[in-house]
Amino acid sequence: MEYLLECRNIAKSFGGVQALKGVDFTLRPGEVHALVGENGAGKSTLIKIISGALLPDRGEIFYMGQPVRIDSPRKAQEIGISTVYQEPLVYGELSVLENIFLGREIRTPWGNIDWRKEEEKARFLFASLGLPHHFLREPMGELSVGLQQLVLIAKALVYEAKVIIFDEPTAILTEHETERLFNIIHKLRERGVGIIYISHRLEEIFRIADRVTVMRDGEVKGEFPIGAIDRAKIVELMAGKLLVEEIARKRFRGDKPLLSVRGLTKRPRFFDISFDLFPGEILGFFGLVGSGRTDVAQSLFGLLPPEAGEVVFNGSKVRFSSPEEAMSAGVAYLPEDRKVQGLFPIQSVAYNISVTVLRELVRRLGIVDTRKERDLAEKHVRELNIKTPNLRTRVYSLSGGNQQKVVLAKWLSVTPKLLILDEPTRGIDVASKSEIHNLIAQLADQGLGVMVISSELPEILKMSDRVIVMHEGRITGIFEGSEKTAENIIRAATGERMVVSGGVRA
Amino acid sequence: MTDERLRRIIRRREFTVLGLIVVLIVFFSLTTERFMSVSNLSNLLLQLAGTAISAIGMTMVIITGGIDVSVGSTLGMASVVAGKFLMGGYSPLLVLFAAIGVGLLIGLFNGALIAWGNIPPIIVTLGMMSILRSLMYQLLGGRWISGIPPAIRVIGLGKWLGVPISMWVTILLIAFFTYFLSSRPLGRAVYAVGNNPEAARISGIDLKRTLLFVYAVLGALAGFAGLVYVARTGIVQTNTGSGFELEVIAAVVLGGTSILGGRGTVIGSLLGAFLVGIIKNGMVLLNVPALSEGLVIGVLIILSVMIDVIRARGERV
Repeated sequence: MEYLLECRNIAKSFGGVQALKGVDFTLRPGEVHALVGENGAGKSTLIKIISGALLPDRGEIFYMGQPVRIDSPRKAQEIGISTVYQEPLVYGELSVLENIFLGREIRTPWGNIDWRKEEEKARFLFASLGLPHHFLREPMGELSVGLQQLVLIAKALVYEAKVIIFDEPTAILTEHETERLFNIIHKLRERGVGIIYISHRLEEIFRIADRVTVMRDGEVKGEFPIGAIDRAKIVELMAGKLLVEEIARKRFRGDKPLLSVRGLTKRPRFFDISFDLFPGEILGFFGLVGSGRTDVAQSLFGLLPPEAGEVVFNGSKVRFSSPEEAMSAGVAYLPEDRKVQGLFPIQSVAYNISVTVLRELVRRLGIVDTRKERDLAEKHVRELNIKTPNLRTRVYSLSGGNQQKVVLAKWLSVTPKLLILDEPTRGIDVASKSEIHNLIAQLADQGLGVMVISSELPEILKMSDRVIVMHEGRITGIFEGSEKTAENIIRAATGERMVVSGGVRA
Repeated sequence: MTDERLRRIIRRREFTVLGLIVVLIVFFSLTTERFMSVSNLSNLLLQLAGTAISAIGMTMVIITGGIDVSVGSTLGMASVVAGKFLMGGYSPLLVLFAAIGVGLLIGLFNGALIAWGNIPPIIVTLGMMSILRSLMYQLLGGRWISGIPPAIRVIGLGKWLGVPISMWVTILLIAFFTYFLSSRPLGRAVYAVGNNPEAARISGIDLKRTLLFVYAVLGALAGFAGLVYVARTGIVQTNTGSGFELEVIAAVVLGGTSILGGRGTVIGSLLGAFLVGIIKNGMVLLNVPALSEGLVIGVLIILSVMIDVIRARGERV
């Protein structure tokens, strides 16, 4: 048996979108196999299939030489495939010991939990990994995230895991915790465990991986022993020749900045952020999860007051301390998660669209003018092409794309000068997506300043006049014109500093 | 009227409750002789007014996703204050302000703790319920207040066009708050806060102010209901208003206000109050033991919340 795990020709699609187009992937015992690729490349889908969260449409999986059907996360765990996620899934109130043995308790002949045996076994396990084990009886919630992650690795070993999948494990770890994690990974490798390691941090991959597979657009673009490839080659494969759609624009751009940000800082989320945004310009913000792009946006909208720095908006120095203030000054913010932050699902379409401007719709005696409200809603439904039976329809019954248009309409109602869009097309269908793109372009052409935050590289490339890239809370690149390439953006997003500190060009 | 519109009206909870009320009225008038008598009906309306008035405030509180179980004690406290003032010979107008003022203060206190202290509403108001009950005992010293001067009793017993004055006031309040919730920006914000507080915050709605407002209004209305109670019964005891919170909450949830927040109307709550009142009244007339009244109301509360929860399953985004 050469391979511990072998995936052959795995395909999976979601409602017409092919997420995986016949992927092969192998894992040997005692090997760290890194999996890299941009968002949407298909990594997560592949991992979900291996860990039993999804079933493939096509293809076969062999585990220890035998064909298997992994139809649930439980099944995966039982046969020895465990996953350690970025954010550990733990029961904070239960002890560390209980967390480790949950569902696999060691019992006394009476059927009670045998705490002594469990503790013995856990101590042995922790010692063999070179870990401290004085905290076994303490509540899990009191441990740092890094330690929690290590406890979950120990838990995987209780399940006698032969394959452990790490999904961006270091994204929220400190440097010290990362070092400790790498030590453990070395020990696991010595024990013959096969490790699938997903990370956006290329330097890490060169430190611990034996092999690396690069994915893009649902396909494997190459698989190399780590000695046979360098960073530049990986970035090139990740970026590929992205087919960038062009979007019709007037490319009108004002000469005085609408928004000037200087040295904006909110520890530990972002540091020394400086940039200008002109009327009529679409400024793209790219960065991995945790890079601080959303925090910067929320700070500009008064949701997250900064500690230091200066913001000049529309000619005057501002410091918004609530969304209300930001809105009345002419800033609108379409939040990242429309379900949690954007919609009032059991209210009507009209209600959702007018909720931000009720005070402006008031007639005498403080009554909301329902005719004006209806006109406003009708206008947006028409202009944004929102498909709804009528204005009284409750928005939970609309499709994702139309829901997102309703949220967008809500923000356009305030007739902003600056429109901040955080992941404007996440999780919506292709047709609505391109409609929203065209709409954003139109708005910019009307003279609005637009900030588009996105994790999708093609979207950033298509929409932005200029792109700001962030990494771990700092601006690492500002690109426009011929420099605005997928490769440059990925390099900056993975931590290469490509811009002088401050990020403002003279 | 188009079919579609008719269907929408029929599907509303208010319509079901109205239907239930009609059925019960028919049932009780066939099974008892006294139900349809003028004296019984006007008695029923008199008893209903306090519940309906407090239910208006409770509707708004529950729409924001909260609850107030101190409403019975608030009514009790306000009736103690009103009773003391009346016995002290103060003018009826001053007494009116005092009763409403006490309720308002209690509501502001609840609201501030909930909005700025981030303490769950059930805990704040449960504590308040116990504190107020104890204060009432201290103030009354274990005695009753009785012999309330007749001048004020017109609020509780007086009639105009055959309908109790307190019921007229209730109708005015219902009309005002219906308009308020549907047409004033702050009234609309009440729904937004209950439906999705995070989205409301990002949409520029002041969560804390909205919460403070709804608890304050409920307090003030319960204070007024306390005065109506004193005026109607003419006595105040240490247990005045105990159990009243259950009746008010029952009226609101039966009337279609969702305990999950974001949905409800004051007209529905008025109908809910009628339903609860008719059940109580009819069961007395049928000589059903008094204790089974709690059984029926308890079952109705659980049933109607169950319907809400099942309905909400289909409405997630």
